[in-house]
Amino acid sequence: MRSFRLLLCCGLLLGLTAFAAFAAASDDCLACHSDSATVGKAFAINPAIFDTTVHAQLGCPSCHTSVGAGHPDDGLPPSKASCQECHAEVAKEYAASSHHQNAACSDCHNPHQVRGPTEVSGADMNRTCSGCHELAAMATTHTTWLPQADLHIGMLPCISCHTASKENVITLYIIKRPAAARFGRFELAGYNELKALASHGKIEGLIDGNEDNYISLAELRLFNSDQERTGLRLQGMMTPETVTHNFQILANRRDCSFCHASGPAARQTSYLSLATSDGSYRRLPVERGAVLDALYGTPDFYMVGSTRSTALNYIGAVIIAGGLVVPIGHGTLRFLTRRNRANKED
Amino acid sequence: MNSQHRVYLHMTPVRIWHWLNAFGIVTLIVTGVQIRFPEYVVIFASYKSAIMLHNTAGLVVAASFSLWFFYYSFIARNMLKTYVPNEDELRHGILRQAKFYLLTYFLGWPNPHHPTPENKFNPMQKSAYLAIMFVLVPLVSLTGLLLTNVEPLRNLIILIGGLKILVGVHFLLACCLCAFLFTHVYLATLGHTAFAYIKPMWTGWEEEPETEQNAHDEPVSNHR
Repeated sequence: MRSFRLLLCCGLLLGLTAFAAFAAASDDCLACHSDSATVGKAFAINPAIFDTTVHAQLGCPSCHTSVGAGHPDDGLPPSKASCQECHAEVAKEYAASSHHQNAACSDCHNPHQVRGPTEVSGADMNRTCSGCHELAAMATTHTTWLPQADLHIGMLPCISCHTASKENVITLYIIKRPAAARFGRFELAGYNELKALASHGKIEGLIDGNEDNYISLAELRLFNSDQERTGLRLQGMMTPETVTHNFQILANRRDCSFCHASGPAARQTSYLSLATSDGSYRRLPVERGAVLDALYGTPDFYMVGSTRSTALNYIGAVIIAGGLVVPIGHGTLRFLTRRNRANKED
Repeated sequence: MNSQHRVYLHMTPVRIWHWLNAFGIVTLIVTGVQIRFPEYVVIFASYKSAIMLHNTAGLVVAASFSLWFFYYSFIARNMLKTYVPNEDELRHGILRQAKFYLLTYFLGWPNPHHPTPENKFNPMQKSAYLAIMFVLVPLVSLTGLLLTNVEPLRNLIILIGGLKILVGVHFLLACCLCAFLFTHVYLATLGHTAFAYIKPMWTGWEEEPETEQNAHDEPVSNHR
C-alpha cells in the first residue's frame, strides 16, 4: 500500500513537471511568435486565443518536436505533427468522405485556434464552410429543393445536414442591431458589446438574473419582453452536440420530417451560448421545453411542426369546438322539430 | 300551391371566387393540420408536399381574395351595401334573424330575410362575413405571407413582436376560419331544401318558394 502511494506521488510529480516544462517551453515560443513584426504574419500566434485551446495544454514542443535550443539560428525548418497522429479516428472518417480530396485538416481548422463544437457559435461553424462555399451562393443552390433556403442556412450549421453529426439541441445566441442602423439586421453581439451593457460587467447577468448559471423560462421571458430597453434579442440555431467528419450529402436530410416531424419531445433541450473574452462561447443550460413556450420563451425561434405550444393547441381546439356547437346543437333541435316544417310545407 | 320565385343572386366572378376560396381553404386546413401535427397526422405523402401544397393554396386564396375585392370595389361597386350592416339591421335585423335561427325556424316559420341581388345577405350573415372578409382572411393571408418569407421580412416580423406571435396569430385565426367553416356549411343547408342555398352558389339562381309576403313583391327587389 505504501509503495503504491509512493508510485502515485512520483507519477503526479512527473506529470506536473512535464506540464510545467511544456508550459515554460510554450512561453518561450510565444515570446517571439506572438509578435507578427518579429516572426511575420504567417508564423504569428494570438496567445489570448491559443492559451485557451486544448492544444495549448500540450505545449508547442508536442507538435513541433524538432525545435531545439538553436532555433531559429540553426536554420532548420520546425517539424509539424500531422493531425492524425492524435486524431486517428477522425482522420480515418474524413479520409472516407468526398470532402477529403478538396481540403486538408488545416484548411478548415487552425491548430492554434481550435475549439470544441460547443465552444463556437453556429455562425462560426458556417464561417469555416463559407471559406470555400459562399453562403449566399449556397442559399441559391438550395432553393431548388429546400423551402426558405436562406432561413435554413442562417439557422443551421452546414454540418447538421452534410455530416452525420447528431444529438441536435437548440442553442440561443444574443444578437443586436448595429448602433447606427435603426432598421438594420440584427447581428451576433460580441463580448465587449455585451459587457458594456451588462450591469456589474457580467454578461450572464443580462439574462441570468439570479446568477445561478441556469436560465429559467421566467428569466427568458423577462429578457425577451424587455427588448425595448436592452435592444437585444435571442437567435436560435439547431446545433449538433456530437460532430463527425464524414462529409456527404445525406439523403434523409432532404426529408423535412427528419427535423420537423420529430415532435416537441425532441426539442426539450436548449442552451444559452455567451461570447467570452477569448472569442469562444460558454454555454448555460436553459430550462427544459423553454423553446416550446407560446410567446416569450424564444420569440424569434420556431421550428414548424416541432416547437408548437400546447397552450395554443388547447385554445385552438376550444375555438374549433365552438364552431361545432352550431351544427351539433342546432342540428339536433332541427332533427327533433322536423315535423313542424314538414307540416308548414304541406 | 307551391310556385317558385327565382332570383339571380350570385354573379359569375363571385361564384368563381367562392369556390376557389372554398377549395383553397379546405386544402389549407387539411395541410395545416399535417404541418402542425406531423408526427400524428400524415395525409400527404411527405411533410414537404404538405408544406408546398399549403403555400400554393395560400397563394390561391390570397389571389381569389384579390379577385373578390376587385370585383366588389370596381365592377359591382356595392361592397359596402353588401357587407356592412346598416343601422336598422344592427338595431333590429340581427335580433330578428337570431330569433329565426334560435326559435321560429324550429316552429316552421319562414326566413324573415328574402335575398335580392342588392341585398343578398341577412343581417347576421353580413356581420359574420364582414368580420371574415375584412379581418380574418386578410390577417391570415398576411401572416401566412410573412411566414413563407421569414428571412427577407425578418425586420417586419420583429416589429410585429417575433415569429412566435406571428405563428400563434396565424394558427388561431386558422382555427377561427375552421370553426366558421363548420357553421357556414351547416347554415347553408337551412334553406327550404338542404341544397336550396348551395345550388345558387353554383348556378347563380336562387329559387324561393312563393310566400304571401313575396308574392306581392316585384321579382327583383328589396323585400324589407
